[in-house]
Amino acid sequence: MADLPEYVIDRVFDAPLPLVWRAWTDPELLSRWYGPGVETIIHEYDLRPGGVWRNEMKWGENSDLSKMAFVEVVPEKKIVWHHSSTDKDWNIATNPMMPDWPKVLLTVVTFEEQAGKTRVRLTQTPMDASDAEIACFANMMAGMDKGWGSGFAIIEEILGELQA
Amino acid sequence: MEQSGYNTDSASLDAVFSALADPTRRAILLRLSDGEASVNEIAEPFEISQPAVSRHLKVLERAGLIERGIDEQRRPARLKAEPMSAAVDWLNEFSEFWETSFEQLDGLLTQLKQSELKDTDNG
Repeated sequence: MADLPEYVIDRVFDAPLPLVWRAWTDPELLSRWYGPGVETIIHEYDLRPGGVWRNEMKWGENSDLSKMAFVEVVPEKKIVWHHSSTDKDWNIATNPMMPDWPKVLLTVVTFEEQAGKTRVRLTQTPMDASDAEIACFANMMAGMDKGWGSGFAIIEEILGELQA
Repeated sequence: MEQSGYNTDSASLDAVFSALADPTRRAILLRLSDGEASVNEIAEPFEISQPAVSRHLKVLERAGLIERGIDEQRRPARLKAEPMSAAVDWLNEFSEFWETSFEQLDGLLTQLKQSELKDTDNG
């Protein structure tokens, strides 16, 4: 279990902790930044263990639904949830683009005050995942971190040459 | 079933990531981006045997990243880029999800700080 692949993003925001916490936990604010370049609609947001965040992201004709089941909430310190893609009835679903993508990602977000700024660290690891799901996620992470070395650069070079 | 149309493509997307995870195979792909080549020609610059190159080519072929010519003697390998760009798109999509969202959060926090300052000034 110690070797599960993990996605990590760690950022320091130049804002006091209470404000950052509000931006994460007030659905009106959350929908304004969550999801890259899409319209985000929060259908339900019940921030407590056992509560659920139902999220819809819309772009063009597309709509992408996901469900976050909160398991731990420590005000201004930590939020833990189970992150899943869902079908239109909010049932956990396989990603059609990537059938071996883990169905549930354990997501841990921690908040820490640092001299008037706020450090946010988010990690995602596959949960109750099959070997294939773990391998798929590990491949993705290997592609993203520097473990691939110049691998990614080579691929972009190849694609660039072909487009030229 | 209803998603059967996706399955061939997406199953290979996983294979693409595994295939791309190996530096020798990426170097072979880079070589093939200059044009098709036989096993002999591919093996030349590498310090590995032809059978080893053949094994790498099989992995790449299974992932749909290359195709082999019918010519029994030479069987030149040719690059097929579509699965690779699908894999790269997917990877970018995942890595950019939080990166871009966090940038948007950064912008929102700046706005919120400014409006709080205004409130304090007015009050």
